[in-house]
Amino acid sequence: MTSGLLRRLAASLLEAAVSIAPKEALEWGQAMLGELRHVEGNWSALVWSLGGAGVLAKQALVALVFPSGDRPTIPSGGGFLSKEADMRKPALVVIASCVVASLLFFVLPVFRQAFQVSLAQWHEVFHIDLDFDRMDSAAAIAALAKKAEQNHDAEALAFAAERTPNQNEALRLADEAVRLDPSLTWVYATTGAWYAPNFGMERVALLQKSDPQNALPYLIKAQKIGVTVTYSKEFPLGKITENPGWTQAMEAAFLAPRLDEYRDRRMQLDHRVLARYQVHDPFQIPGDDDDFPAYGVWYASRYAESTVEAGQTLESRGDRKAASERYLAVAHFCDLAGPYRMLFFRRGCKPAFERLANISEMQGNKAEAAFYSALGDEFTKTAERDLARRRNSFGGNEVSRWNAFLVRLSGLALLFCAALLVVCALGVVVRSQSLKWSALQASQLTLGLASIAAVGALLASAVLFASYRPYSELMQQYLSRGDTTGLAEVSSFLSDVQLPLGSRLAGSQLRMSESYVGSTSAVFYFWLGVALLCGVALLAAVLRHVQTRQRTTAAA
Amino acid sequence: VARKELTGRIYICRLRGMASPRLSPQTLLVLERFLEQPAEWRYGYELSRETGLKSGTLYPILMRLAKYELLETKWVATEEGVPPRHTYRLTTKGMELSRAQQKPERSVERARRVALSGGKA
Repeated sequence: MTSGLLRRLAASLLEAAVSIAPKEALEWGQAMLGELRHVEGNWSALVWSLGGAGVLAKQALVALVFPSGDRPTIPSGGGFLSKEADMRKPALVVIASCVVASLLFFVLPVFRQAFQVSLAQWHEVFHIDLDFDRMDSAAAIAALAKKAEQNHDAEALAFAAERTPNQNEALRLADEAVRLDPSLTWVYATTGAWYAPNFGMERVALLQKSDPQNALPYLIKAQKIGVTVTYSKEFPLGKITENPGWTQAMEAAFLAPRLDEYRDRRMQLDHRVLARYQVHDPFQIPGDDDDFPAYGVWYASRYAESTVEAGQTLESRGDRKAASERYLAVAHFCDLAGPYRMLFFRRGCKPAFERLANISEMQGNKAEAAFYSALGDEFTKTAERDLARRRNSFGGNEVSRWNAFLVRLSGLALLFCAALLVVCALGVVVRSQSLKWSALQASQLTLGLASIAAVGALLASAVLFASYRPYSELMQQYLSRGDTTGLAEVSSFLSDVQLPLGSRLAGSQLRMSESYVGSTSAVFYFWLGVALLCGVALLAAVLRHVQTRQRTTAAA
Repeated sequence: VARKELTGRIYICRLRGMASPRLSPQTLLVLERFLEQPAEWRYGYELSRETGLKSGTLYPILMRLAKYELLETKWVATEEGVPPRHTYRLTTKGMELSRAQQKPERSVERARRVALSGGKA
């Protein structure tokens, strides 16, 4: 029963192969099928059938790649021994066409930019210790700063100060910008300049003077004091609330009528400078960075908690009015900071609303109590929704994540294919020991590899172009019209595209902690891949050498 | 003449460190089988058994030999109701090339076999 089944299977397999065989191989397919009846043993018949089917499938594939019109006919005289030349002409045409088409992509500025962006992932691999965001552009920014200084261009100096990784240099540029145009004092708040150790309180005072109703300068002041206090022996961590300077600054921040992080001013300034200096580097496009002081949330949380505690103490003493003022200050700052940040200092915000509702109820003002209660609930819910949204879209939305993945992958494929083409070309020259076109002899393996590399390069170029183009258009919209609607998308894409391929699992909805392999691991995997490829290349070279030796021996 | 040309070609290839003309050992084996009885028509399965080559190796060789007119093919009917079989024989051109390709030691061995078997091998 099994034996009959095996033979039927063998016959069916070969018949199927015959059905897909090209016209010129049809006779041979019939020949193999005819011989199948005479093969002794069922397993042998199956092996016969598998071998024959493989031959016919290969013929079908060749016919697909090289249609009959393109395939060479029998060469006159000595053609059998020059088998290697069979596919040479059509293969060379394919290789040349694909290479030329790939190179033509480089004529397009968008493609050149896309290729440059696709290379950003390698910075992480080769310069892991450098400043991640700005390293590739540091030289360009330094050049722009120099030009701005020569032109006495305050806005360009502010632009450069925002992007200069060195804090002291950023402070120097910001100082120069403010000296040239005092209306740019806000630049002190948006650049990294105020992190510099020599950023003194006189500059904070300037910030406060230029925008006295803004909470941001007070938060910066609190941070400057906080950093000093936190690292001093006299004020161990946790005792920050006992520092009068810090408390005063935080109190002013909590009572300030507004919190402006100068995002709009920064966007407008960036747009003007980018247009003026014709900066086309996508990494200089402003993103959705948070300009809130680094320790701002933690300090605000500490202050909110201590204020609520102080309010409760006042309440226990019967001073409801003073207590209400404290709670209101906290609630007001929670409102200024927005629901997202409120979540981080909810230990201060939520009790503040609750206490306000409680006091109102005790005073018999039920409507006010319900209002504070509803406001507190609404804030908490909005904060949680906002946090959930941010978690889901961590590192950008699904589309930009996929596009970043495609850009990185196609950039890598393009480099790999180009390297393979160069290796093939070198191989042909070394093998032929000549640079004359007529003397160059390529083996079928070389031609096959070069064809795959050329087609691969063309496909990679097309994918790279198609994946990057939408972001290029969004950037153009910003540069030409100042339209900032697509900048969040661009920012998300650019932050993803800088990660080495494999350091994040693209397209997956993973939690924040699971989604990164980590840059150190990415570097390790990269070099492991290089080592494995080298091993495979060495093995291939040894096998090729052994094969060539066997043939030479056989032919001799 | 052909043999001289080939020997010369192999020599040049060796001298230049290049691979010899690509006649695989399997192709040589098939040609050798054809040369043993050059006038006879051979079946594919028969050749496969004699050379130990699988169909996936044997048929591409036969196809290439036929393509370069070194091999002639013909369909022969065997039994009634059974499909005809494809048979093969070297052409004159094929025989010339095969003879030129045979290794001297193989020819000597074949001559020795023929002599020892009383001309029957």
